[in-house]
Amino acid sequence: MSNSSALLEEVAAVAPEPGGILGGVGNRNADLPAWFREQQQVAWTEFQSLPMPAPKDQAWRFSNVKALDLAPYQLPVALSDAETRNLLDRSTELSETSGRLVFGNDQFLERDVCSEKLRAAGVIFQPLERAMIEHEELFRRHFMNQPATLGSAKFAALHQAFVRSGTFLYVPRGIELELPLETFHWLHGENVSIFPHTLLVAEENSKVTLVEHFRSADRSRAGFSCGVNDLVVGPGAKVHYVCTQDWNDRALGIQINATTVARDASALNLYLNLGGKFSRLESLSRLIGEGGRSDMLAVSVGDGAQEFDARTLQDHASPHTFSDLLFKNALHDRARTTFGGLIRVEPHAHFTDAYQKVRNLLLSDDAEANSMPGLEILADNVKCSHGATSGQLDEDQMFYLLARGIPAAVARELLVGGFLTEVLERLTSSALVVRLEELIADKFVRRSR
Amino acid sequence: MQQLTIENLHVTIGDQEIIRGLSLTVPRGEVHAIMGPNGSGKSTLAKVLAGHPDYTVTAGSVTMDGENILDLEPDERARQGLFLAFQYPSEIPGVTIANFLRAAVQSRMLDGEELEATDYYAQLYKKMDLLEMDRSFTSRSVNEGFSGGEKKRNEILQMALLEPKYAVLDETDSGLDIDALKVVSKGVNSLRGPNLGVLLITHYQRLLNYIVPDRVHVMVRGRIEMSGDKDLALQLEEKGYDWVRDDIDEPALA
Amino acid sequence: MVQENKSLEIERNIGDFAYPETHTHDAGVGLSEQTIHYISDVKQDPDWVREFRLKAYRTFLSKPMPTHWASKDLEAIVFDKIRYYLSGGIQPKRTWEEVPDDVKRTFERLGIPEQERKFLAGVEAQFDSEAVYSNIKKAVGEQGVIFVGSADGLKEHPEIFRKWFGKVIPTGDNKFSALNSAVFSGGSFIYVPPGVKVKHPLQAYFRINAENFGQFERTLIICDEGAELTYMEGCTAPKFNTATLHSAVVELVAMKGAKIQYITVQNWSNNVFNLVTKRGLAHEEAEVKWIDCNIGSRLTMKYPGVVMKGRKARGEVISIALAGDGQHQDTGAKMVHAADETTSNIISKSISIGTGRATYRGLVHVPKHLKNCKNNTECDALLINANSRTDTYPAITVRGTGNAVQHEASVSQVSAEQIFYMQQRGLTEAQAMSLSVNGFVNDLVRQFPMEYSVELKRLIELEMEGSVG
Repeated sequence: MSNSSALLEEVAAVAPEPGGILGGVGNRNADLPAWFREQQQVAWTEFQSLPMPAPKDQAWRFSNVKALDLAPYQLPVALSDAETRNLLDRSTELSETSGRLVFGNDQFLERDVCSEKLRAAGVIFQPLERAMIEHEELFRRHFMNQPATLGSAKFAALHQAFVRSGTFLYVPRGIELELPLETFHWLHGENVSIFPHTLLVAEENSKVTLVEHFRSADRSRAGFSCGVNDLVVGPGAKVHYVCTQDWNDRALGIQINATTVARDASALNLYLNLGGKFSRLESLSRLIGEGGRSDMLAVSVGDGAQEFDARTLQDHASPHTFSDLLFKNALHDRARTTFGGLIRVEPHAHFTDAYQKVRNLLLSDDAEANSMPGLEILADNVKCSHGATSGQLDEDQMFYLLARGIPAAVARELLVGGFLTEVLERLTSSALVVRLEELIADKFVRRSR
Repeated sequence: MQQLTIENLHVTIGDQEIIRGLSLTVPRGEVHAIMGPNGSGKSTLAKVLAGHPDYTVTAGSVTMDGENILDLEPDERARQGLFLAFQYPSEIPGVTIANFLRAAVQSRMLDGEELEATDYYAQLYKKMDLLEMDRSFTSRSVNEGFSGGEKKRNEILQMALLEPKYAVLDETDSGLDIDALKVVSKGVNSLRGPNLGVLLITHYQRLLNYIVPDRVHVMVRGRIEMSGDKDLALQLEEKGYDWVRDDIDEPALA
Repeated sequence: MVQENKSLEIERNIGDFAYPETHTHDAGVGLSEQTIHYISDVKQDPDWVREFRLKAYRTFLSKPMPTHWASKDLEAIVFDKIRYYLSGGIQPKRTWEEVPDDVKRTFERLGIPEQERKFLAGVEAQFDSEAVYSNIKKAVGEQGVIFVGSADGLKEHPEIFRKWFGKVIPTGDNKFSALNSAVFSGGSFIYVPPGVKVKHPLQAYFRINAENFGQFERTLIICDEGAELTYMEGCTAPKFNTATLHSAVVELVAMKGAKIQYITVQNWSNNVFNLVTKRGLAHEEAEVKWIDCNIGSRLTMKYPGVVMKGRKARGEVISIALAGDGQHQDTGAKMVHAADETTSNIISKSISIGTGRATYRGLVHVPKHLKNCKNNTECDALLINANSRTDTYPAITVRGTGNAVQHEASVSQVSAEQIFYMQQRGLTEAQAMSLSVNGFVNDLVRQFPMEYSVELKRLIELEMEGSVG
């Protein structure tokens, strides 16, 4: 332990060179293990060899690929003590947690992270750069071993070429964490880029909830986040993963998720997307063992010229598996969303139940929703359905609220909140639901200003 | 002038005129019933008073305590003290009764005035007890999955909580069994008093056994064609609406 | 029961026979500018048509195969090995007596003259590249209805033809519409004058007789203000050893208040690539309805569309697809809302049997600043065997607050409970299965004219026979 702590002191001391990310990673990660940097080199070569997404790519259909210009983005400089303190002060969302990690510009800022009790039980909750040394074998077994198949192979390569920090969470067999773990990733500075990584491994019959928050330090400076979060859910394990994304509206965000669900395990992913100029989520659930279940949830609230782009795959590779996707979008102003989702039931994955629903609420005449829900069914004895709707607030509901004296703006907010609640309520923790509702309400307050 | 006054009201939807020169006055402290056959325009009248956007008022006036309300938005009318108990209350998934009622009560407070949570709940629970409603009710979504009786009780609960000056009850008795009808009537009767004017819209006389009106008006084809005391309702029950219709038609034939 | 099976057996292979070729015009094998000049020469095309063809040919060459989204099976089409024009003359006959014997026998075996007598207002019968027979009932002709081949249409009625030809489906819409525009031959031109409601359907029957052949008919139907028309098409080909290509372009124009119903029963043999572009333009308060049933072919790619250009226009696609062993039915619909208060409806039902694959692709587009547009889409897929496959790929764009769009799709199988119930009443598993599947599509089959719906039900029964056990 003490060794790696010393190493971390060093990490903090090495100030990364500023420069455009398209110039490569340079010496930035010189402090990381050689094997890791070799992988980064390979990834960089791959990034350079892959083409940028084009509008005719099926995986980018309807997306504004022009938003993906990476030229402006720089590697961050180290944060000052005052900046670090400021970010740490702002890094609390949940009142009760089992532990917390805070990162600013890919720099690990807080190290009092997890109780002694959990540590004694074998729970590992530590920054990536430490895990790759202290738990090399475990780390290497799972790190970046799910190819990005939903369009962002190039960005996954970019992520791997640059990643240097993030969350490593390991929950041993049979261990159940009652309270959630929480992490923060801050973007700080002009045109700064970060590469947040999360690797969660939940062993057999364990149970854990991880809540991550993506934030900009201010609401005006542009930035770029290219993150990967991989969840490995062992047999019988239960994982809830919640990500609240509230970048400022000049940020570009790409988030690539792979969730692997083993026999009798269950995973729940919920993404709350509030911020970003262009924000793309690629989420893959692979159901590889009988009895596995995956819930894929997202709520996006867009305004201004925000664009949310979501691509999902519910990949049923084993019989007797279940997946349920529910994405809801509420769009003001010129906001637009694209949803491209696929349920794929592999040959022999019989007795599968798979559902997919996307609901768009268009709140302005310039808002736009694109929906591409898809099914590929190669097995029988399946129950699969999908649905996509786009509509507006119900006039009768609106009149009912007005007739009770509730002003139109408040009525609209209540109805939008009600529309989104169906997704949030899939979470079992009511404290978490309340917090997410507050984050949505905050966005309405920002809007009304 | 503590009264709700409707004068020579004409209302259309699309090209069709539904209310055709209706006049009616409901003073505060009184309960008036409007009865009429299906399609006479009763429910339209209720929605027009509340400001439903589908209808166009082409002529006439509606004043509340002397003030014109036709230029007001629906929410402004409500805050001025007009309450409509809907015939078919909307189901609003995801919005809890507690949040909904809080927003409604808050909207009646002055700027900067904050709702006191304990007072609010004390008030709410008192009214709920009156209407024999379970406390768990408040955490349910507005009207979602409610039985007919629950919906109507929820309407009266809101009326009790929001303390309007004038309440329009649109077919509040429809879809209720006798027990639910008694509970709802008890709720309405307990709210009767010098500060409240009530306009009861109903198809059947049955409700008027429980909420006894001061005046009864008969509405046919968009107009009040006959008015009287509560006995008029009994006459109608006995003779049917054709009796009124024949009465109107006769002069035309002559 | 035996009796019934026997009669069905005849139906099943109804199209599987061929007569020796007796063509007088043959453009040879492969496609080049010479091929196009040959076709233009034979057909005595006006110059603008020749130019149109040559330009389309260049567009065809410049467009890639759409394999980035469509089936890789398209790569099996070898354009250099196809014969693009075959005919025994370019002038269709007005009576069956004049039609050459072997060709007449072909259509008699397919029951066309009989159907014409029974319930049709007019028939056109195309044999390879040209119509051999074209006739319209006198009474219908006297109402001013024009029903001729596309070549006659462009020569005899250029003022109507040129106004709309290639306007609903531009040459460059896709690679196959470009190919059709380069080498088109045959197909119908129909014009229904204002207010004329054609009581009985007009029918076209498309027959491929020659091996290695590509059929590229071109149909243009215009219903003037308040006119109404039902058009039906059927198609068959013998089962050759090599692949055959059928690539049609069908354009419909419904003027204000007009109604067009276009019914297709596609029963090509299982080696035909059926790559068809069909689209209708609906003006104010007009209605275009596609009723589309795909049973045959190796690969069908067909997404009938409606562009709703006028206020209160309506578009509808009713689609049934039956994908048997080795078949891929890649069908769907396109609904483009381009005016206020337009409504569209898509109902698609598919059945995948054995290694069959049924794919639904849909496009619904509601741009901003439109009010009160509605689309409703329902796709239901039925999987019969463990190795059957079904896909659904809709793409829906909606802008603004005035519109409501709803898409729902489901995948299911025949309920084991239902089968057991019927078996307990004495039906065989195959019979029970067949009844169930017919039940699945029944509400759509009823939308076809009686004569077709009976045939459809039988075809489904036949397909089901081999699928169980």
